[in-house]
Amino acid sequence: MKRFLLFSGIFVVAVVCFLVPCSLAQVEIVIWHMEQPPHRVEQFQRTIDAFNKENPNVRVRQVVLDWMEAYTKVMAAIAAKQQPDLMFTIPDFTTAVKPSGAVQPVDEIFQTLDEKYKFFESAVEPYNYDGHYWAIPVYGMVHMLWFRKDIFSKFGLDPNNPPKTWEELLESAQRIGKSGEIYGVGVPASKHMYTDQAIYTFMITNKAEDLFDESGNLVFDNPRTVQAYAFYKELYKLSPSDASVWTWAEPQLAFNTGKMAMAIEKGQFLLPFEEESGVPGTNLGCAVVPIPQNGQRGSIYYSNGVMVLTKDQSKLEAIKAFLSYLFDPEVNGEWLAGMEPGLFLPVTEATMNSNAFWSNKVVSQYRDHVELMIEQSRFGKLFGFTKGRVNPDIGKISGQNILAQVVQKVCLENMDPAEAVKWGQSEMLKALQRKK
Amino acid sequence: MERRNAIFGIVLVVPLLLWLVITIGYPLVLCVKLSFLNVEFIGEIGSFVGFSNFVEVLKEDILWFSLLKSLVWTIGNLLLQTGLGFFAALVLNVNTKATRFIRSWVVLPWILPTVVLAIMWRWMLSGTFGVINYLLIRLGLVSAPINYLGSVKEAMGALVFINSWRWFPFISVLLLAALQSIPQELQEAAVIDGANGMQVFRYVTLPALRPVMSVLGVLGPLLTFNVFDVIWMLTQGGPSKATYTVPVLIYERGFKAFAMSEAATVSILSFVFLLVFVAVYLKLTRLNVGEYMEQ
Repeated sequence: MKRFLLFSGIFVVAVVCFLVPCSLAQVEIVIWHMEQPPHRVEQFQRTIDAFNKENPNVRVRQVVLDWMEAYTKVMAAIAAKQQPDLMFTIPDFTTAVKPSGAVQPVDEIFQTLDEKYKFFESAVEPYNYDGHYWAIPVYGMVHMLWFRKDIFSKFGLDPNNPPKTWEELLESAQRIGKSGEIYGVGVPASKHMYTDQAIYTFMITNKAEDLFDESGNLVFDNPRTVQAYAFYKELYKLSPSDASVWTWAEPQLAFNTGKMAMAIEKGQFLLPFEEESGVPGTNLGCAVVPIPQNGQRGSIYYSNGVMVLTKDQSKLEAIKAFLSYLFDPEVNGEWLAGMEPGLFLPVTEATMNSNAFWSNKVVSQYRDHVELMIEQSRFGKLFGFTKGRVNPDIGKISGQNILAQVVQKVCLENMDPAEAVKWGQSEMLKALQRKK
Repeated sequence: MERRNAIFGIVLVVPLLLWLVITIGYPLVLCVKLSFLNVEFIGEIGSFVGFSNFVEVLKEDILWFSLLKSLVWTIGNLLLQTGLGFFAALVLNVNTKATRFIRSWVVLPWILPTVVLAIMWRWMLSGTFGVINYLLIRLGLVSAPINYLGSVKEAMGALVFINSWRWFPFISVLLLAALQSIPQELQEAAVIDGANGMQVFRYVTLPALRPVMSVLGVLGPLLTFNVFDVIWMLTQGGPSKATYTVPVLIYERGFKAFAMSEAATVSILSFVFLLVFVAVYLKLTRLNVGEYMEQ
């Protein structure tokens, strides 16, 4: 009997010793994202730490990349089977990574979250094709016209009546630029995503938003696109000389330091405006992007999303837990507003109505601007994702910044806009036909 | 005993050979293999397409355009770096308190990380905020800011200058070491024989530098031709392809256009081009060395 009890005891201890570590084993989730500014990384870490504390069985870890290296790194990681479990993305990036086979459909996660928090259709649409959802949208970004009210006043322009048409935009920029002290406007001509986005915003307002027709044929080369490029060139002439190498930081600095009166950009100006400009926030103006005659209201809008790159079941469970934590309206509101108030716009109705989002100091200070951006999002479009269709090869066009390359042809090489657009169409065709 | 020594020698060499096979041989074989497939993304299996990638790539104007840009880049760099390096070495060879101090600090640009160097120059050359434009305007030398990195005409020159600024200390240190190895007696003897400063330089100093120059003559073009980081960080091959060298073409083809096989094909062509250059160079320099020995 004693021997039986002894063996039973040893057996129970062995089982407990085996099971306890199993139940305590942590599942690690690695997230790659491209939000490099330190305050964004810190805010994300705060959110991750709070989740990790509430979920001791899961450990979420963030890895920060540059957008410039994101394509390269994720492809190399997928080839080496060392990809992250989650990766932040934008719609065309998803189409570029998807052929690798690593991107997993997220239908189930999406439906669960959508039932609870209700995603905006415009945020979801670019990730829904081939019968599945390929990423969960996490925040939206939209282009606006930003203008300095103090500079407008200085040059006799009405600070409460910003330009509404292309003509007014050009006139205001010329009037300010004539002084030689301040650039009237700044539009980029670098071979960069920023330039792609800026020119596309003008294409949208001129009703040239469709790169493809209903049958999937490339229709970039059309008179409305040419008009948009011709107008863009006029604005470029009034821009700072180094706009041909601008990335994200330079225009913001030029605007906030008062060297430039207007910019077409997303909402990242809000947070640093007072500190960098040295003037009260009331001098920061925000308006919808001016439209041409017979044009339409609109600007580039796209949602950043998160892709799932793992098939591991235990990781998938942990990812579900993390995402449902992240989308809780109060957590989500605080996260978005803390990451970059004004730049990161909510993509769910629940977060839109959350107190955490609107109570953020910067968001509440510029509430009118943020509300206008959210309203403008409804008129937003994204190249390759219009007319409810998704062109799976759009990543090949955006990856090579062909829209921006056409800008360079027009603005830097003085090529006739019609010829440059024709060149752009042929480059796009080459990129699309490269697939063998 | 001899056999034992031979085996010992082989044992010593094997790790290095293995290392070379793993780090150079294997990637090279993979690259050649990729160039005969139609792979778009790394990791794809692809199918055999024979020489069609080579035919397609060789037909493209952009290959020849980027090769021309690479030649301009390489020659520009070599001329400027060698000129600056030579001048700096001659100055630093004079033994004074100041030159002893400068010798320690001249290598600073060379040891700067590329990222730091790129950001530093980007801001210094900025048309809106750059200190260089600010000074030029304040001094009345220019009336409007010069768009160094953003202008089709200026960008290549600016890049060549920045890269040369970075690498000339390396060349000057190598040349300085060679200069300091020239026996003082040789120069003194030449002076006693009636040679003037120019003749001492032409007939004593320059021949003594020839071995170092020969090595630099092959390493310099190879290293410079393959530079990617500085160009990518400062201009990404732009503006409007003004600095679109072969390494930029390879990178864009592979990771922006997602045509990995075509990128591998351009790499192989570039490898062959450099191989031919090295072969020709070695043949020519060997002849020169022979002539020099005969003299």
